[in-house]
Amino acid sequence: MTMQSRSDSPALPQRRPFAKRLLDGLKPSRLTVPTFLLAWSFLVIAPLVVIVLFSFLQVKAYRVVYTPSLDTWISLIDSGRWMAAVRTLRIGITMTIIEFVLAFPFALWLAKGCRSKTVKAMIITLLTIPFFLDAASRIIVWRSILGQTGAVNTALMSLGITDAPIDWLLYSEFAVHFGLLGTHFPTMVFPIFMSIALIDDDYIQASQDLGGGPAQTLFNIIIPMALPGIVAGIVFTLVPLMAAFVEPQLLGGGFVDLLGNSVNSALQQLKYPTAAALSTVVVALLGICLAVLVLVTRRRYDMASMFVAIRR
Amino acid sequence: MLTDPITRPSSAPARDAGTKPAQPILEVIDATHAYDGVVALDNVTVRAAPGEFLTILGESGSGKTTLLRLISGLEKPYRIGALRLGGVDVSEVPAFQRDCTTVFQNYALFPHLTVGENVEYGLKMRGVPVAERRTRARNALELVQLADKYDRRIHQLSGGQRQRVALARALVPQPAILLLDEPLGALDEKLRVDMQVELLEIQKRLGMTFIYITHSQEEALTMSDRIILMRKGKIDQEGPPTAIFDRPVSAFAARFMGVENCFEGELIELSGGQAQVQVGERRLRGRWSGRSIPKVGAKVAVGVRAERLHLGPVAPTAPDHNVLPCGAGGAIYKGKYLDRTVTTDIAPIKVRIWNASAVTDQPSRVWWHKDDCIVMDL
Repeated sequence: MTMQSRSDSPALPQRRPFAKRLLDGLKPSRLTVPTFLLAWSFLVIAPLVVIVLFSFLQVKAYRVVYTPSLDTWISLIDSGRWMAAVRTLRIGITMTIIEFVLAFPFALWLAKGCRSKTVKAMIITLLTIPFFLDAASRIIVWRSILGQTGAVNTALMSLGITDAPIDWLLYSEFAVHFGLLGTHFPTMVFPIFMSIALIDDDYIQASQDLGGGPAQTLFNIIIPMALPGIVAGIVFTLVPLMAAFVEPQLLGGGFVDLLGNSVNSALQQLKYPTAAALSTVVVALLGICLAVLVLVTRRRYDMASMFVAIRR
Repeated sequence: MLTDPITRPSSAPARDAGTKPAQPILEVIDATHAYDGVVALDNVTVRAAPGEFLTILGESGSGKTTLLRLISGLEKPYRIGALRLGGVDVSEVPAFQRDCTTVFQNYALFPHLTVGENVEYGLKMRGVPVAERRTRARNALELVQLADKYDRRIHQLSGGQRQRVALARALVPQPAILLLDEPLGALDEKLRVDMQVELLEIQKRLGMTFIYITHSQEEALTMSDRIILMRKGKIDQEGPPTAIFDRPVSAFAARFMGVENCFEGELIELSGGQAQVQVGERRLRGRWSGRSIPKVGAKVAVGVRAERLHLGPVAPTAPDHNVLPCGAGGAIYKGKYLDRTVTTDIAPIKVRIWNASAVTDQPSRVWWHKDDCIVMDL
């Protein structure tokens, strides 16, 4: 009875301005999801689709011919440029592994071993240097160090260690690997450092207390709990590695063709469909790599529930 | 039916074989530790007998957690005479090789493992085969009444359940000593009381040595075989619960054990355990319970529990009572009893009245028997 009379009563709440009601009615998920999808499809997905479609077109006399054909793809295979894809994948994965092997112990020390806050802040600042220097100007310096008449060879020869300059130091796969090392180290360190820093010391101590030695604690507690950061580090390192073009161009000296600099040179020659086809290969390879990564980690660990667990 | 949930596997050597029962299972001798120049432990010596439930009682910052961490090896002492577990010096042995486990205050259950994997963890670290550790983990979960939660994740459990999992995880490796760092601190009142009983039953059943840390005197009194009361990194008093409760050696111990009324006074006479103390204008008599016999004229503390006080218009005239004239003060209703404060010329005194109907509005006398009056070190 009282319910009835209450709903019938004319004392409705005063109508508030439209904009205010609209804002109040919006839930974060209702706002975020469509905005994100719209922006992302416009900024990223649409160009990607265009690139893939473009690889099936041809350019004749500086004009795009809008007739679908497989010519670009066939010439890609015939000219042996697909070898660049294999090389890119090989170097990308090798470098990711090298970076991980170097970065994980470093991140572990930075997060749990380094007691001084000043040292920690200093190292984190130093790690950001690759981000605020242009890659080309950073890399070109290595030419004068690694070259035939460079600092390293001069030093080696004047010390009598070698008679002739070591020629594989520059314009070789070694040089490309070496050049990529510094650039992609911070992107591997930071996510791993963050995720290890988030592991409560109590978990590590509980493991020790229950009889876990240092190696057992590392493999049973620290690595599984840092897995989200490790995956992020691998993604953020592998993805730019697959598209690297400065290092192979400047330190490879034309001997190390990777997809990144192939795309670059194709663009300079105005071979847009070739560039598009090569880019499609990069994207496809990355997609496969990430899919493998997700499958491997998901089989062993439930990532979603891990994020829930770490929050607690 | 549950017979003996944690049975020692036949392969493991019996721990107490060949040792005399008199030999302490734990000896911490002259431990000193400091954090950033602040002394946390000051020459503390602790011994525990096998199967003993030893409680380390103290306020936060008294050094009790530091002591526990020294025993477990998670903290390396600044200076220590000896640290022996089962007669073997372990002061240089790292935490993961010591035969003791800890139930942490916040449980520290591994969030990426299931309940069962958490409980098995200690056995896995010791290389126990999968089948055996699974059986033993299930048995331990049965012991803490969580047998059906084996495959759950930690974040799916309630606070009380997490506490039990932490206990099971620490029990499964069958340590010589179980260290418990305020394990019931995060639980609500009712659960805490239930868990006290359960912990005690498990301890008696397994005959394991428990070193239990708490800041709650009620918890310490209920559960312990022996209590060590700590104050500012030192041991203030140690002994069985009844001794500490009835005969606190200092005003600090007395207040910690719930002696509501403590006064400062000057010792006038001490003979045969009977003391006379001058407090303000009054002369009070009580039994001496301090550490050493002080000189006449020394400053001492006089304590009396609120429930041992009587209020009324006329005091008994027998000479074995301390009687003070008093005026009415405030009263706090506590359900089972009434806490009444009366003013005297020494200090305000808190009186506990169990029979609320017997309250006189205007009491003029407060008195207590001299045997209920404790005289101790300040």
